[in-house]
Amino acid sequence: MPLWWPLLVASLLFAIGVYGVLSRRNAVLVLMGVELMLNAVNINFVAFDAQLHDVLHAGQTFALFTIVIAAAEVGLALAIVLLVFRTHGHIEVDELRELADRDDPAELSAPQAASEGVA
Amino acid sequence: MSWVLLAALVVPFVTAAVTLFTGHRSDVAAKGISVGGSALGLLLAWVVALAHLGDAPPLAHVFTSTRTVGPPIELAVYVGPLGAAMLILATTVAFLVQVYSLGYLADDPRYPSYAALVSIFTGAMSVVVSADDLWLLLVGWELMGACSYFLIAHHWELEDARAGAVKAFLITRTADLGLLFAIFVLGDRFGTYRLSTILRVITEVAVPRDGLWLPALLLAVAVIGKSAQVPFHTWLPDAMPGPTPISALIHAATMVAAGVFLVARTYPLFLSSPSTLTFLALVAAVTMFLAAVYAMVTHDLKRVLAWSTVSQLAYMFGGLAAGAWSAAVLHLLAHGAFKALLFLAAGSVVHAIGGATSMDVMGGLRDKVPDTFVTMTIGFAALAGVVPLVGFFSKDAIMHAAWEEALHGRLVWPWVAWLLVVSMVATAALTVAYSLRAWLLVFFGEGPEVVHDSPATMRVPLVVLAVPTALGGLAVTVPGIIGGAPGEHLVHWSTSVLMTLLVVATAALVLVLYRRRGRAMWGPVVVPHPPIDWVWDRFLVRPVRWLAVLVRAGDRDVIDAYADGAAASARGIGGLLRRTQTGSVQGYLMVVVVGATAIAVAAGLLA
Amino acid sequence: MSWVEAIFVLLSLVALGSALLVVTTPHLVHAALWLVVTLGSVAGIFLVLAAEFVAWVQVLIYVGAVVVLLLFALMLTRAPTGRQADLTVRRALPAALVAGLVGVLLAVTVVAGFRDVRLDLDHTMVGSAGATGTAVFTVWVLPFEVLSVLLLAALVGAIALSRLRADSSAARGDR
Repeated sequence: MPLWWPLLVASLLFAIGVYGVLSRRNAVLVLMGVELMLNAVNINFVAFDAQLHDVLHAGQTFALFTIVIAAAEVGLALAIVLLVFRTHGHIEVDELRELADRDDPAELSAPQAASEGVA
Repeated sequence: MSWVLLAALVVPFVTAAVTLFTGHRSDVAAKGISVGGSALGLLLAWVVALAHLGDAPPLAHVFTSTRTVGPPIELAVYVGPLGAAMLILATTVAFLVQVYSLGYLADDPRYPSYAALVSIFTGAMSVVVSADDLWLLLVGWELMGACSYFLIAHHWELEDARAGAVKAFLITRTADLGLLFAIFVLGDRFGTYRLSTILRVITEVAVPRDGLWLPALLLAVAVIGKSAQVPFHTWLPDAMPGPTPISALIHAATMVAAGVFLVARTYPLFLSSPSTLTFLALVAAVTMFLAAVYAMVTHDLKRVLAWSTVSQLAYMFGGLAAGAWSAAVLHLLAHGAFKALLFLAAGSVVHAIGGATSMDVMGGLRDKVPDTFVTMTIGFAALAGVVPLVGFFSKDAIMHAAWEEALHGRLVWPWVAWLLVVSMVATAALTVAYSLRAWLLVFFGEGPEVVHDSPATMRVPLVVLAVPTALGGLAVTVPGIIGGAPGEHLVHWSTSVLMTLLVVATAALVLVLYRRRGRAMWGPVVVPHPPIDWVWDRFLVRPVRWLAVLVRAGDRDVIDAYADGAAASARGIGGLLRRTQTGSVQGYLMVVVVGATAIAVAAGLLA
Repeated sequence: MSWVEAIFVLLSLVALGSALLVVTTPHLVHAALWLVVTLGSVAGIFLVLAAEFVAWVQVLIYVGAVVVLLLFALMLTRAPTGRQADLTVRRALPAALVAGLVGVLLAVTVVAGFRDVRLDLDHTMVGSAGATGTAVFTVWVLPFEVLSVLLLAALVGAIALSRLRADSSAARGDR
């Protein structure tokens, strides 16, 4: 098959993932968008690996590594999401605006402050 | 000898500095240092002066020279007989004033600054009379004006004093522009700023008639301002709120006389320009009469003396304009002595009755302040020109010279010379009148009780000054001592007799009027002042004020606006940029994605 | 079109369609389930492209662990079931435009760049477990170790976050 087929699929999947990240209000749904983007990247890696006949299998190896990183990231991200849920009672990302630059000092709760440092 | 002169010039400034630094700690130290320093300066000045009076070769020395684009500016001194005589006058009167001030300002907390300023003034006057470089002269000249300003405003809590000081400073400063520009012109014309060189060139090389009218006229303007002649005459009477010793020193004997001194010093320049001499004669003629009229009708003792000073200075200018150099200089020296005496005596009177200067509250003081009475009588008599006091001889010489000038003179308009003669005669009569009036009002009739008689420190200078006033007439026998032409004689029988008759007749008339009408001898006369002050206010003070307002507005609204605007725009931009920090993560991500895309496109296009 | 290509096209369509549903569906849990479909299709695509090991790891970890984790998160945050009207931001047009822009850009780039290149799947090296394992543990062992440290860090971080909250809530009397 032409190489550009899997690459096109990857591009479109990536675009859909971007849309998901930018337009979804629930934090978990945003994370799903991120997963879509990472998968698109993996398809890209694997396609090129097949095309280049790489002896070192760099493409597939990196796809593996991407999967590992994605897993770690999701774990940590969900920990943060749960923390946010506990402090605010919701995980709507567009309601979480404490970091805006405003004249009146927004009331910051201590755990929020702790999680800011970690994130 | 030049080093002695340098010491004499420097000592007053050093004294002033030391007085200022130590004065506020110890009263006695301040007084001791200032009087001691003044005495030392006096001694040094006398040493230099006595060595250069008469036929002795003049002292000319250049201490140091600077290189400039044009002619060099040098620290050059020249002391001829004229300078020597002026040095003696200035330092002696200054010393006597310092001694007098010990008594007059005994309880004044501002004494150290006062004494320091008097010292600085003395130094400045010495610089002026001994300077040979025009810029050095200008420095001394301006320094005198500055000291005058500070000293008039000694009692700066009084509005009169402040206003008088500012007025004096502004008017004399404006007139001093004439001196500044005259220096420029002379430097340009002669290629040097050395006065002795310039004068030598003028006398040796034939200068076309009125060839140097411009520098001469500019100098004339400057001296007219400094010596309070019309139209710059309004500042001198308004400078009277200053302490009386200051009036004696600055506004009678020395600073205002510096104008006459300058004309005498640069006389060849003026002689080469008859039109300037005519102008000077006209101004003198008008001033002497006008000032004498004002002196006649004013009720304040110090103002009488102030107007009298203006009138007598006009006499000196008239004499110089008529070519009587020696007579004018003699009158300058004589006037310095007796006017200082009169002012100091007036100060003694004022001090005795507790501070009032109006003659309306004075009277019958001849028994209560006898020393003052005697010395002031001598002073008034000299002023009026009573034989054989010094005032008589000098005025007589001037009048004779004016008469000669009118008959066969070289002034541009002959009628000016006749005007001068008439004015001089009339003024002589008026001088007798106002002197006598003041003398009668102060010392005769009914009057107040004396608060306390003057201390010795105030009476001794009066006596000291009375001596040259009484005996100075002998100087006319040796006019050469002040540098006059050899063979010139200053006593002329015709004018002497006429003058004496005039004096006697006027005195008789005044006494009769006093007998008949009492203290208001010529009724309630109001003499209108020509609107000089209005002119000054309209055309000088107001435009300068408007300019100041404009400048301040320019600074505040234009320049500060930029500075404030920079701050405001920084804040505005900051405010705008702040809006990007919405706190919404998705917003940030959107920006990141778009930005990354844009960079990718740009990279792709450029690569 | 050969069989391989046809299967590939089919799988791609499934993947893209379900991805679209993930980002647009108004049901929270349905989104997670559609994600499973997407990830499964992507695994299929990997198989077609001769990356066996990656495909099965994908199924194992992504579908098996990650999606489960996402579902757990949905449960722990009390995700409402049923149709939600407010899962997408009100003004979604800018996001759509940006996404569209990105997509168009990438698509144009790849198509223009690799128009004439063909994948030769018959002669490609199959990414079997053995081949991949050899590659990972010989050539790429250092990144592998770094990754393990990364996993450790993520683990520690996740624990620290949850413990932090527990401590502070005890200290502040449970807000």
